[in-house]
Amino acid sequence: MPEDDLAEEAARLTINGDNSDRGDLGFVAKRLAQEARQTLSSSGGSRGIRDVTEEFTVAAKQLQPGQLVKDEYFTLFEAVGALEIMDPKMDSGYVPLGDTLEPDFDVCKGLPAEQVLWIMDELLRLTAVWHDGYPLSQTIFTSLHVDRLLSPDNRPPYQLSYGDMTLRIMTVEEQLVHIVLRAYCVALVKSCALVLHTIQSQNFYEEEDFVTHLFGRELLPSTGANDAIKLLDEAVKFLDGAEVRQVMRAALLERLHFAQTYISLLITNSADWNTLAAMGRLAETHKLAQPIPEAFSDKVQRQLATSTPPRPMIAISWDEALQRWTEFCADVVEADRLTCFDVCQSPHALHRAIWAFAYREPQPNTFARAYLQTILFASEQITEGMAFFDLMLTDMRDLALAGDVLADPQSFLIEMPSDSRHRCSRIIEMFMDKAFDEYMNLYRMVCQNRCRIRRTFTQSVAIFDSLETEAMKTDAELESITPGIVLPHEDGSGKVALNPLTSWVKYHRLQTMAWTTQLGFETDIYLPHELSMMYWYLMVFAQRRCKLVEHIERFLAARRKRFASSRDARPDDEAAASQEWLAVLHKQADFEASLSSALWQLTELLMTLGILQPPKRDYAQEQLLYDVRMKSYLGIAHDPIPTLEEYMSAAQSDQSVGETCNNVNSTIADAKGCLAFLKKTNPEQGKYVGTEEQWKREIKQLETTCVAVAVQTSQLRRVADKHGKLVSVARDASMKGMLEVSIPLPGSRYHGWWVVPQIRERKK
Amino acid sequence: MHSIRTSPLSRQRGNGMADGEANPHSVQAVQYLDDLLNKTLHLHITDGRMFVGQLKCTDNERNIILAMTHEYRQPSQADVKLAAERHEKGGFAGNVKVDMRKRFLGLVVVPGQYIEKMEVEG
Repeated sequence: MPEDDLAEEAARLTINGDNSDRGDLGFVAKRLAQEARQTLSSSGGSRGIRDVTEEFTVAAKQLQPGQLVKDEYFTLFEAVGALEIMDPKMDSGYVPLGDTLEPDFDVCKGLPAEQVLWIMDELLRLTAVWHDGYPLSQTIFTSLHVDRLLSPDNRPPYQLSYGDMTLRIMTVEEQLVHIVLRAYCVALVKSCALVLHTIQSQNFYEEEDFVTHLFGRELLPSTGANDAIKLLDEAVKFLDGAEVRQVMRAALLERLHFAQTYISLLITNSADWNTLAAMGRLAETHKLAQPIPEAFSDKVQRQLATSTPPRPMIAISWDEALQRWTEFCADVVEADRLTCFDVCQSPHALHRAIWAFAYREPQPNTFARAYLQTILFASEQITEGMAFFDLMLTDMRDLALAGDVLADPQSFLIEMPSDSRHRCSRIIEMFMDKAFDEYMNLYRMVCQNRCRIRRTFTQSVAIFDSLETEAMKTDAELESITPGIVLPHEDGSGKVALNPLTSWVKYHRLQTMAWTTQLGFETDIYLPHELSMMYWYLMVFAQRRCKLVEHIERFLAARRKRFASSRDARPDDEAAASQEWLAVLHKQADFEASLSSALWQLTELLMTLGILQPPKRDYAQEQLLYDVRMKSYLGIAHDPIPTLEEYMSAAQSDQSVGETCNNVNSTIADAKGCLAFLKKTNPEQGKYVGTEEQWKREIKQLETTCVAVAVQTSQLRRVADKHGKLVSVARDASMKGMLEVSIPLPGSRYHGWWVVPQIRERKK
Repeated sequence: MHSIRTSPLSRQRGNGMADGEANPHSVQAVQYLDDLLNKTLHLHITDGRMFVGQLKCTDNERNIILAMTHEYRQPSQADVKLAAERHEKGGFAGNVKVDMRKRFLGLVVVPGQYIEKMEVEG
């Protein structure tokens, strides 16, 4: 009779690790748990069962064809997800005629060393595939030996045989299975448990990045990771003295050693994965293995708790799997290097380091990204001596308050309540409390998959916007206690203060807006005819960033003037470093503004000339399309984005084709000039300590992009000239049919964030 | 909430009955089935498996949608043998208890044609 543990089962249905997906999942889980509780209370358990076959059948026949009797809360949407029993495509428990429920393989039978070797390598291959995000039911759980160890019928100490093996004298082949293979399987399973623990302790997206589902199995709960290591030691001891060919002994020992190293690294959370990577020698001895595919089967899915249809086993080659392992190890080692003490001293350098990690090719897997998050966020501080608070304060200081007493760490230690520094520090702390979560998200969210980075940052924009209100209030309070420098307004009218916290928040908001747009280009969400508008907005965001940096620079210069008359060199050194860095930020924003301006003008010209066109849409309205595309930015209260009308009026369709081409070229020249400056900055000035290689590489890619834009423009110019359109006003000219444009897909661009249309003359 | 197929109204030509006119048998039938909703059913199907879950939906072909479903199988010979061995080893007296194999599936639809026996709890 069925056990009464429905509530327990329902509780296990809640998704772990996905804590940022508010709403739907939580609601569903609650409802399921509620249903379970309902059942327990209403039925009173397994007593009282009535046969209703006849009655039900008669009643059902009374219904009209198509008439349903259903629970009022049960929806069509849910019904679509129901598994159809007895349909082989949906029913994982369906056993075809002539087939047996379980695979016909005796896991207790002894195997020659060559076959044991093959099984071990196969498990390594499947572990690599699991790390890539495929569920256990299609990977490690398909091993019949693992399946036996994890079977609900099995009991600690989880032998392969349910019977008593101790009294038997085992043959060498049996020992290879029960001592060596078993130890290896146990270690691999415990390693899975450790990997899951790391991943689920950090931010990730279930199903998108990784599948944590255990299918109703437990991962050898009574056996600890250290017990697994002991088992491996015993297996090594056995092999050393066993009657096995030397070359096979060596190969098997290599696998055991690999398993030992892997699980040890996971236990200690060490970054020394180079030792694992050095085990690429496994590749050489793999050819000694003799395939025994019967030891693996997807029939295991018939007995796993799964709410999905049956799925195939995954096939990647052994070489590909080894490649994945190598990359995996390299990623973990790099994660450690990128977050070393020196890098963590500068928030900006650390930020760059995390972006560099995210942009490694191929993208680091879920474990590696969870590992990076563990390094940064698992303890109370970013690194030794740098608490999260310190990181944030340094960020504010570096950007807007270099050398200023407000952001001096010493000010925060003043205890005298009447001291203005004490009062200001408390006010700043309160603000930092409010901004803390979103600020730390700037680091954490870059550890997610690319699409999620864009989507989360889109939400961040709105949060930074509301933080700006808080910042303005805080700045006003600070101003009343410690009046800061006041300068004449740039346009000559009235005075303006620095408003450091507001400037800081505004900077991050503008930077995030630019990133979401850039990531939009990278993840290919804009249609070809939208490129022009998005580049124009990117240009506007960059220009605003420029203005903001200029604003901060003015006050920094004024502050430095004051230092000239004081004796303390430290604030001035700090200010000098900040000035150099702000100059870099300024140039970067300038570059972004120039390149996006060039691409805006080029793509707009292509549209005006009829070469790039929106699809035929009879019911589309410009304003509605705009609202949908710019939705995330429309709610911004502090310096709202330009409207659709403002964008349209910026259009330059009354210039001639030749003039526009010239403008594009001169804008590109500006961009190149910025790159030349950036090339000459050193890691301290540009705060790119730790990511020197990525800095250089990116500048090269951007240079190539600039050249590409110039080349495409000259293509356009050449064909326009050929058809005598060069001096025509763009609006009145049409070059439809004369040119072909293709938009490079992500992956085939010089730089993933910049889309340079490829222009070709259409040959008749 | 919407019906999965078109409204019964369009199919009642043959009967010559409008939607509002109640056939006492069908009203009773609907009431009977309605009372069973959300109760726990045990469905025994043709290949020997049993499905236990909460009734959510049914139609005139006796297709059943169950929520929170567990699938049960009769223990195999090997299962019985293992249970007997453990029983003996443990020195227990009396009969051997062999659990059915059970696994959780979630939401399932069991086509009416495969149902051999239906039981309701409570």
